[in-house]
This record gives sequence, structure tokens and C-alpha cells, in this order.
Amino acid sequence: MNDSMSIPHLIMSASTVVQLVMLILVIGSILSWVVIFQRTFVMRRARAAHQTFEERFWSGVDLNELYRETPSEQETQGAEHVFRAGFREFNRLMAKTKSADAILDGVQRSMRVAWSREEERLTMHLVFLATVASASPYIGLFGTVWGIMGSFQSLSMAQQATLATVAPWIAEALIATAMGLFAAIPAVIFYNRLSSESDRLLGKYEDFAEEFHSILHRNLQGRSETGAA
Amino acid sequence: MARRQRGPARRNDKPVGYGVPALLAIGLHVLVVILSVITLPQRQPVESDSSSIVQATLVSTETTTDQAQRAEEARARAAARQAEEEARQEEEARQAEEQARAEAERQAAEEQARQAEQEQAAREEEAHRREAREAAEAEAQRRAEEADRLARQREEQEAERQRQQEAAAEAERQRQQEAQRRAEEEARRQQEAEEQRQREAEEQRRREEEAQRQREAEEQRRREEEAQRQREAEEQRRREEEAQRQREAEEQRRREEEAQRQREAEEQRRREEEARRAAEAASQGLDRAIEGESDAVANARQAQEAANSFINLVRRAVEQAWVIPPGASSGLSATVQVQLGPSGELFGATISQSSGDNSFDRSAIQAVEAAAPFNELRQLPPAAQRDFRQFNLRFTPGDVR
Repeated sequence: MNDSMSIPHLIMSASTVVQLVMLILVIGSILSWVVIFQRTFVMRRARAAHQTFEERFWSGVDLNELYRETPSEQETQGAEHVFRAGFREFNRLMAKTKSADAILDGVQRSMRVAWSREEERLTMHLVFLATVASASPYIGLFGTVWGIMGSFQSLSMAQQATLATVAPWIAEALIATAMGLFAAIPAVIFYNRLSSESDRLLGKYEDFAEEFHSILHRNLQGRSETGAA
Repeated sequence: MARRQRGPARRNDKPVGYGVPALLAIGLHVLVVILSVITLPQRQPVESDSSSIVQATLVSTETTTDQAQRAEEARARAAARQAEEEARQEEEARQAEEQARAEAERQAAEEQARQAEQEQAAREEEAHRREAREAAEAEAQRRAEEADRLARQREEQEAERQRQQEAAAEAERQRQQEAQRRAEEEARRQQEAEEQRQREAEEQRRREEEAQRQREAEEQRRREEEAQRQREAEEQRRREEEAQRQREAEEQRRREEEAQRQREAEEQRRREEEARRAAEAASQGLDRAIEGESDAVANARQAQEAANSFINLVRRAVEQAWVIPPGASSGLSATVQVQLGPSGELFGATISQSSGDNSFDRSAIQAVEAAAPFNELRQLPPAAQRDFRQFNLRFTPGDVR
């Protein structure tokens, strides 16, 4: 009994459709866990990077120096990316126009682009998690229904309908649902967690962008006043 | 992977690749699969065990509490039997009384009927007799007339001679009349004698019948008394035998217990001695002692396992045969005492603790009867067989499937 009712044996003896469903669910579960781990690492690293960058930014260092510290071909992330995009645009526009409003508009636009790139980077693959979370219970349910259909078909062939003839079929069919839930539950939990974390990070980037914008604005204001005088 | 290789390593800026997360995810799944494969087979027997609906508890025949209980039961049974016996006797006495009364009534009725018949017969006889008398008188008259006519003819024919012989004829006639009267008298006397005789015979018969009845009643009473005495003697003897049997059983049990205790003590002493010897002797002696010990333990465990398997088997068989009545609520519980023969055949199944629901009790008894015989009893070790000749089965619907 133990041998015939063990889970590997049940999976091996399942019908092709149910096996296919199980395969899909296993792949979905593995991929969702890959996403979960990868996103977790990305979030942790982004949080650490943001903290170090903010410390450095507010330490009173010269902005030109900070800008020059990282080579332009180096891909930067987070608030640093926003800062670089905004400062580069500021420097380029300063050489071409005297209008403070035009400069600030350009800086804001370029910072918004950088912010939206960051958003895309942070929320990448989270949609996949959401898909797995919502779809895998249904896929598992489909496998179960299919397996139970098969069990009743075999029951109609049997001479004697005992619990022992139906039980293995139902057990193997229920494995599909179990696997669907197994894939869905972590996906739901981590989707919520990761999306809230990315929202929080993006909020911080936005705050930083506003602060940087106000610094540039102050700078331009002072410059225009000295120019006028 | 591609992104990690593209960017040069610097501080925190190295992008997070997919290799490590993939490894972690696959490792997690493998771990889950291994856990499910390893732990599930161990858990399964426990799960299947919990689905049992009949709990069989062994009632050992050796415990003292059970002895008391059984003595109590025996006393209760004896009292019940005695009460039953008394009730039956009373019933019998009442029946006999009623029978006697009915008999007497019937006899009286018969008597009356007979008397009425006799009277009828007497009346009829009277009527006959009257008719006969009348007939005789008529005859006599006719004859007298005939004689008259003859006499007149003769008178006419031989008037002279007749006249001469008139005196003779007269005498003759007188003699005839006399004779006739005498005959009549005679007849009447005979009839009277007849009647008298009949009455006497009647009387005699009645007396005889009376005597017969009395004798019969007497006989009946004596027989009843005899039966009563016999029954009492029987009862007395049975009680004595019962008591004797109980005493013997008690004695036997005590002896067995004594023997068991002695054996155990013996065993204990022997083991202790062995252990001591082993301790004193070289390490191989110790090893041998341990081996013997473990053998004994293994034997005991084997017997225990056999007993357990038997109980499980009985339980499963009874469970399968049990048809739970549809109206039974899950709170019901009945205990059935099962007595088995030496080869596992069912001697008796009685409700020792009723559930209060008759149909439920009946279904439990029927389940035991349907599951019998339990031939597996013979496969048990002889010592365990005795223990399992009597055990209790508790029926609770529990988790009915």
C-alpha cells in the first residue's frame, strides 16, 4: 500500500494530461521561486545602494565631483541614476540657455525618464509572480478534474466499485491541486511583499528627485540674481 | 547571467544575475520533494489507524476487578433466575388452581346435564309405563269384552247350560279379573322395583364418581407437591453446584495466579541470579545473559504483536460486517461482550453496556455474529488463546464513512 500510494508512484502512474499539468506547475513554481530570490536580492541591494548614495550626497560633497566620480559609460542605479541624468541635462542646458525655467523643465523631464527606467527595473518580473499566483490554482484544479474524470471512466469499466479502485485515481488527481496551491501561495505572498518594497523604493527616488530639483532651482535662482546684479 | 558578465565588478553596482536564484529555487524544490517522500510513508499508517470505528478492548480474565465483576454478574444472574423460577412457580400454581376450578365447574355442569338427562329419562320411562298400563288396561277391557261377548254367545247358544254354568263363568270371570288385577299389580310392583333399582344405581354411580373425583384431586395435589418438592430440590442442587463451580473456578484462578506468581518469582530469581553470575563471570557470560534477556523480550513482544494483530483482525472483520442503523447518532456507544470457543467459533455475544438504542445494540450483535468465526484464534500462542476467549468490543459510530 505504501509503495503504490507514495507520491512519486502516483505521479508516475498519472495520465498524460495530468502529468503535463503537473509539469507546467512545477516549472511555474521553480520560475516563480527564481523570481522571488532574484527580486529579493535586487531589492536588498538597491536599498543598500540608495542608503550609501544618500549619505554621500548629503555629506556636502561638490556635485560636480560626485558626478565625475562615476564614468559616464558605467550604468548606475536608483537615486544615483536619477541624479546623473538630471545633472547631465543641467550641465548641457546651462551651456545653451540662460532661461532658468527651460533648464529646470529639461532637468525635470530627464529625471522623470530616469525614474521611470528605475521603476521598470525594480518591478521587472513581478507580473510573472502575479500570474503564477492567480493562475496556478486553476491549472491545478483542471488537472484534478481531468484526473477524476479518468477515475470515473475506469470505475465504469470495473466489475466491482470499491474505494480501493477509485482511491489512487483521486489521490493522484488531488496532487495536481496540491501542486497548484504549492506554487500559488509563495507567489502571492512574495508578490505582495516585493511590490510594496519596490513602491517604497520608488517613493524614495521620487523624494530624492524633488530635493535635487529644489537644489538646482536654488542654484539657478542665485545665479540669475547675481547675473542681474 | 548576461548582465552580470557585461558589467565590470565595482562596489554594489554589479547587477543581480539569475544563476544563484535559480540554484536556490531548484534546491528548495528538491528539498520539498525529499521531505514529502521521506515523511509521508511514515505518517500513513498512523492516518489509516485513526479511521477505525470500533475500539476493541481486551478484558483480561485474570484481573481481580474482573473477578469481582463476574461474581457480581453470576450473583445477579442467579437472583434473576431465582426470581424467574418463583414467578414461574406462582404462575403454575395459579394455572393449576384455575384448571381445578374449571374442572370442577365443568364437572358440575356435566352433573347437572346428567341429572337433567336422568330426569328426562325418568319422565320418559314414566310415560312409557303409563302407556303400557293404559295398553294393558285396554287389552284387559277388550279381553273382558271379548269374554263378555263369548259369554253372551255362549249364553245365547246354550242358554240353559250357560245359566247352569253361569256361576262357573262368573267365577271364571272373577278369576280372570283377579288374575288380571294380579298381573297389573305384579307389573306395577316390578316397575317400582325397577325404579328403585335405577335410583339406587344412580346414587351408587354418583357416589363412585364423587370418590373418583376426590381421588383424582388428591392425586393431582400430591403430584403437584411432588413436582414442587422436586423443583425446589433441583433449584437447591443447581445453586449448590453453581456455588461449587464458582468456588472451584475461584480456586483454580487462585492456583493459577499463585503458579504464575511463583513462576514469575522463579523467573525473576533466575534472571537475577543469571545477571549476578554474568556480572561475576567474564564478559561472554554477560553477553549470553543479555542475549537471553533480549530473547525473552523478543518473545514477549512477539506474543504481544500476535495478540494485537488478532484484536486488529477481529476489529476489522467486525467493522466490515457492521451495518450502522441509519438513524444512529454519532454519540452512541455500545459494548458487546464476545465469548469464543477454542477454535474461534462464537459462543455468545451479549450487550454488556447498552447504548440505549435497541436497533443500534442489535446491529452491533449482528455485526459480531456476521464476522464470526474468528479462526485466527488458533494461530495465537496457547497462553494468549485463553486470554482472548472473552473480550469486549466497543461500538461507536465515530467517523462513519
